[in-house]
Amino acid sequence: MQRTPAGETVIIPRNFKLLEELEKSEKGLGDMAISFGLVDSGDTFLSDWNGGILGPAGTHHDGRFYQLHVHCSEQYPAVPPQVKFVSKINMNCVDSKTGTVKKEKLPAMRNWNRNMGIEQILQSIRMEMCSDQNRRLRQPAEGLTF
Amino acid sequence: MSNLPRRIVKETQRLVAEPVAGISATPYQDNLRYFAVAIEGPQDSPYEKGVFQLELFLPADYPMAPPKVRFLTKIYHPNVDKLGRICLDILKDKWSPALQIRTVLLSIQALLSAPNPDDPLDNNVAEVWKNNEQEALKRAREFTESFAMKGSK
Repeated sequence: MQRTPAGETVIIPRNFKLLEELEKSEKGLGDMAISFGLVDSGDTFLSDWNGGILGPAGTHHDGRFYQLHVHCSEQYPAVPPQVKFVSKINMNCVDSKTGTVKKEKLPAMRNWNRNMGIEQILQSIRMEMCSDQNRRLRQPAEGLTF
Repeated sequence: MSNLPRRIVKETQRLVAEPVAGISATPYQDNLRYFAVAIEGPQDSPYEKGVFQLELFLPADYPMAPPKVRFLTKIYHPNVDKLGRICLDILKDKWSPALQIRTVLLSIQALLSAPNPDDPLDNNVAEVWKNNEQEALKRAREFTESFAMKGSK
C-alpha cells in the first residue's frame, strides 16, 4: 500500500505484489539466511512457494537448513500466507503433528498487514528460533520430514 | 478512490467509450488502477482466433513510470516468459509519459503479429523460433488452441 501526494491510497494487486516478491528474492535476500522461490516456475498465479531457513547460530537450530512450504491464497495479501514446515522441527509456534505454523503464535502473522510479504514471515520464524522458549528446545534428528 | 489522478480517469473513460479493435480493458471496481484486459490474436498470426487475458496495473508513479502488464493466458511467444511477463522496450527503458494504456496494449497486440526472437525473454522458445520457424508457429498455434480458445482452460 502506498499513498500518493494527492492522498490516494494505491493498492498493488496480489499478482503484481507476488511478482515483485519473486524478483526481489531472485536477486538474493541479504545474507541468504532465508530464501524462497516458486515451486513451479510457470505457476501463473504464484500460489505455491518453497521456503528455506538457515538455523541461527547460538541455538539448537544452528547449522540446520529447514525447508518450508508457503501457500498464498486468492485473498493474499489481505491475509498472510499459510506456512508449513517440511523439515521436522520442534518449536512452540509450529504444530507438532503437521508442521503448520500457527497464525496466532507467530508475530508476523498476528500483526500482518498487506505491505508485508513472504520475506517477513520467514524472517519472523527465524527470529522465533532465537526466542527464549525455542532456542534450547530439543530437536528431532536432522533430515526428518513432517 | 475519488483521488484517482485525472489522467487515469480520462484514459479509462476513453478506453471504454472508444475501445481499440480487438482489445478490451476494464478496471476492477475495487481497484481503479487495476484492469482486466483481453486481446484478440491478430489475423495471420498463430494466435488468430485466440483471446488472451492479461492484467494491467498503474503504479503510484504512473505516468512517470510505465504500467505493469502480464499475460494470464499461457502463450508460446519468444518475448513472453512462463509467468506471462512481457519483454517490450516501452514497458521498460523506452517508456515515456506521453504513452498511454492504449498505446501499450496496441504494442502488445503488434508484438503478437511480429515476434522478436532476437530480443527474447524465453530463450528456449526463441531458439526454436530462430532455428525452425515452422515448428515454432505450430507450437504457438497449439498453445492458442489449448489455452486461448473458447472451451480451453
